[in-house]
Amino acid sequence: MTRYLLRRLVFLLVSLVLASIVLFVLLRMLPGDPANALTSVGASPEQIAAARHSIGSDQPLPQQFTHWVGQLASGDLGTSFVSSLPVGPEVSQRLNVTVPLTLSAFVLAVLVAVPAGFVAAYKKNTWYGALLSGVSQLGIAVPVFWLGMILIAVFALSAGWLPSGGFPQDGWDTPADAIRSLVLPVVTVALVMSASLIRYVRSATLDVLDSEYLRTARALGSSFGRAMWRHGLRNAAVPVISVLGIELASTLLGAVVVESVYALPGLGSMLATGIAQHDYPVIQGVLFVSTFGVLVIGFVADLVQRIVDPRLRGRLSGGGVR
Amino acid sequence: MNPNLPKKPLSVGVLTVALAVTLAACGGGGTNSASGNGSYDKNAAVNIGSLYEPQNLDNTGGGGQGVTEALNGNVYEGLFRLTDAGKVDKLLAQDYKVSGDGLTYTFTLRDGVKFHSGKALTSKDVKYSLEKVIAKDSQSARKANLEVMKDIATPDAKTVKVTLKKKSISFVYNLSYVWIINADAKNLKTTEDGTGPYKLNKWTRGSALSLDRFSGYWGSAAKNKQVVFHYYKDATALNNALLTNAVDVVTSEQSPDALDQFKSNQNYKVTDGDSTTKLLLAFNDKAKPFTDVKVRRAVSAAIDDKKLLDSVWGGYGKEIGSMVPPTDPWYEDLTDVNAYDVTKAKKLLKEAGYAKGFSFTLDTPNYDPHPTAATFIKSQLAKVGITVKINTITPDEWYTKVYKNHDFSATLQEHVNDRDLVWYGNPDFYWGYDDKQVQKWVGQAEEASSTQAQTELLKKVNRKTAEDAASDWLYLYPQIVVANTKLSGYPLNGLNSQFFAYDIKKSS
Amino acid sequence: MKRSSSLTRSSLTSSSHTRSSLTLWTGGVLAGLVALLALVSLFWLPYDSDDTSGGRLAGPGGGHLLGTDKLGRDLFTQLMTGSRIALESGLGAVTVAALLGVTLGILAAFAQGWFDDTLSALLDILIAFPTLLLAMLIVAARSATLGSAILAIGLAQSAVVARLTRILVKRVLAQDYITASRTSGTSWTRVVAGHVLPNIWPTLVVNLALQFGLAVLAEAGLSYLGLGAPPPNASWGRMLQEAQATFTTAPAGALAPGILLVLLVIGVNLIADGLRDVLDPTARKGRAAL
Repeated sequence: MTRYLLRRLVFLLVSLVLASIVLFVLLRMLPGDPANALTSVGASPEQIAAARHSIGSDQPLPQQFTHWVGQLASGDLGTSFVSSLPVGPEVSQRLNVTVPLTLSAFVLAVLVAVPAGFVAAYKKNTWYGALLSGVSQLGIAVPVFWLGMILIAVFALSAGWLPSGGFPQDGWDTPADAIRSLVLPVVTVALVMSASLIRYVRSATLDVLDSEYLRTARALGSSFGRAMWRHGLRNAAVPVISVLGIELASTLLGAVVVESVYALPGLGSMLATGIAQHDYPVIQGVLFVSTFGVLVIGFVADLVQRIVDPRLRGRLSGGGVR
Repeated sequence: MNPNLPKKPLSVGVLTVALAVTLAACGGGGTNSASGNGSYDKNAAVNIGSLYEPQNLDNTGGGGQGVTEALNGNVYEGLFRLTDAGKVDKLLAQDYKVSGDGLTYTFTLRDGVKFHSGKALTSKDVKYSLEKVIAKDSQSARKANLEVMKDIATPDAKTVKVTLKKKSISFVYNLSYVWIINADAKNLKTTEDGTGPYKLNKWTRGSALSLDRFSGYWGSAAKNKQVVFHYYKDATALNNALLTNAVDVVTSEQSPDALDQFKSNQNYKVTDGDSTTKLLLAFNDKAKPFTDVKVRRAVSAAIDDKKLLDSVWGGYGKEIGSMVPPTDPWYEDLTDVNAYDVTKAKKLLKEAGYAKGFSFTLDTPNYDPHPTAATFIKSQLAKVGITVKINTITPDEWYTKVYKNHDFSATLQEHVNDRDLVWYGNPDFYWGYDDKQVQKWVGQAEEASSTQAQTELLKKVNRKTAEDAASDWLYLYPQIVVANTKLSGYPLNGLNSQFFAYDIKKSS
Repeated sequence: MKRSSSLTRSSLTSSSHTRSSLTLWTGGVLAGLVALLALVSLFWLPYDSDDTSGGRLAGPGGGHLLGTDKLGRDLFTQLMTGSRIALESGLGAVTVAALLGVTLGILAAFAQGWFDDTLSALLDILIAFPTLLLAMLIVAARSATLGSAILAIGLAQSAVVARLTRILVKRVLAQDYITASRTSGTSWTRVVAGHVLPNIWPTLVVNLALQFGLAVLAEAGLSYLGLGAPPPNASWGRMLQEAQATFTTAPAGALAPGILLVLLVIGVNLIADGLRDVLDPTARKGRAAL
């Protein structure tokens, strides 16, 4: 286990470094000048040069890169070209929106999808089993932003129960407001997420129900519940956990659509603004942090899988067959 | 004088922030919408909804239009301010004198003015602020205009003496765009130290900016305790916020689609003020076929501006025949000069040798109303045989391709500011209109001895550019403010995108 | 071998044959409906796409089935031309994903040790990296066109396809007879052409069908954000975005494109489900084992 952890850690670092180099180069290949965001229409060549100088985009690339890496090493994500605000604190302020949003949606989706997926599989020949499968088919096909539009129209504009968007400026210092503003976004993400999770859980459960060991266990006299608990759940959980990891990771950044529908100041919208403004420190900072997050989630998913299914422990990395 | 960019709903909101461009500050007395019934909450918090978040808090450092809206007149003040009628009033300047030759301006500062940090205002701060605008690294759009200053002297703490290189009739007007900042202040892109009725409480990037009433203000105190600007990236989210009372007022509606639901609701008041924003079909006057005046006039005459305005704004806004909005002193109604006339357009095309028409690429910024306008123009010009290829571009691309490199045939762009006719006197501006007579008039107008002489000259420029169809001015935007009826005293004409909050009263 | 539950696996029942053909038929009808709409739009439209004679924001009825947009263009006409964009983006993205993803996946499967680890980790990162942000980067580089959007979606999906391919290929390579033939010196290309591809294509086809539906959704999302097909093209996502402001006053415009979008995606997903039951060899083997 120690060797595994060590290898996993080294590997995490290597991936991070690789990803940031690729990112740095790719960003610089984009046409357009970050100084454009600062200059006004009417700007003279002198003003444009001054803008470029002030953000350092007139420096040679290797120098810009070492500068950035140097900052990173001291735990500093740099300063935004456009706002002159440090990137680190802004990222953490945005995470205060995105992480609660993603995590609660994730938990809600799991709470809905696991029982629903199990029932959809176990009772697949009943009308409600079929209904659950049908609903999940529908859920997968619904665009997130459309669902958001409809929920806003119904629950915010017509009923007036919840805010239509935005996040309180004081954030979690006003917890009631913060929670209220996250209810609809969380429900939106959770609905779409649980639709696809139901399908995975259902198919994993069906695999187990059809499996030989479950039949054997039952033939040997275990009750269904006991057999399922001892063998079934464990086997069904492994593939589902890996899917969960991927879902969680992609929702973390993929929340940008939901964030835009609900006008939430999250990480996704920070990145979108950064890209539009060619604000390299912001893009690099957000992607660095989220790449790190994705890798950690992958790591945790792998670890949980190992704990759940000891047979996997012989495997070295998370890159194995899933 | 500069196109203003971020206008689009979310989609672009996201992208357009890239190019938020605006002039420096300007003052302006808000003409107030309603006087209110007198009873209001002196300690109310006013929530303002806007699409224009500042990029940073420095208007000489690329802060964009958002910083003007939030801070100008509220947090920072100039020596002068521009009223809604386009008149220049004294603000931090108690008085001023101009020498006989028009080259020396002596300003006396108002007594008892304090910065938010507590320091008293002195002539040194004014000198610092003026120099900041024309400094090498200044991104102020007024830099070129104010470089006419040769020397700034401070004979005593209350007096500032500015000597000009040459006469400049717009000097005082241009000063209304200059914020007076504490000379000792640091980190102006993220903090502030001004003299206005509010001080900055907190700026949460991507979300909101809040201002608190400044107790040490020299003038009459703000009529509310706090204002919070809430920033949205698309108009629908903003309208929804107003409908659910998350905000009390929307500074500038960018689409008429949602207005019906406010007009039919007694809890809201919709007002239609004066705007200075023009939508331009800007030709590259240096590229064929738009080098030919007849072609430009033909295109102008082939487009039914009224129908376009109706499509985009559904009855709001005004037709306009030139670059000059009605609030500029040299306004004249020139809508008849190249009025909609398909027969005339065809005739002009024939005379220019394009009887069978031609085709051109229209570089179209990817946010509203440009794509809509482009689609409309395409279908209109098809009727006179001109084929339009719509090339949708991001604001960033627009800036590089069109504005910097002049690599285009024609483009669509909105120009927000007042008094921006004078750009036609600059042959190097992106549209490349090069007329020696116009350049001479613009130069003479700036050095004129009286505003009357200046106005006469610029009227000539106005007519000449209109007759030449230097660009096609499609329409003047409306300035629509929608507010909760609890609110009164808010500005109606967000002239040059400012929004004075100090007179806003909120009834409880 | 551990019973794998690749994302494309599903269970089998005794009645699965009839059920799968029912699924296929339902999916075929739903997707076919949209395809028919697209086909008809090539030859006939109720109004010309540029026809602005309808009057601003007219309601449904009076010659306009769904009403008009703010330029007075017929919404049903836009809905029809929009179906072409939806299908184009699905097909385009899936083609990119198939070409790139399968190649990358096979390479990764043959790679060993650290290289394999790193490659699959990078794929994981790419998979988590939202299509949308990839699209923003591509749009920033190439400007907003349908091509950019399709490219972005295809690239993002190729990571998913590559990972699936890698797993499938590894499983094939683990078979004893392949190991034997590899040690006996058969060239890699022959192994790929002779053993790998024939074994993996059914699962891949099923997955690509699922990716088609996802691509259609992704394009709608991009267009909603103004990063997809530029105006005057009528993408369903753009139509929804434009109709958002008038959702409460003119719901038809905000509902119709969404409903068609859902029908198309459900249709394609059902086809994928049906195909899986018919094609997937793992599934067949599983059935035989029972």
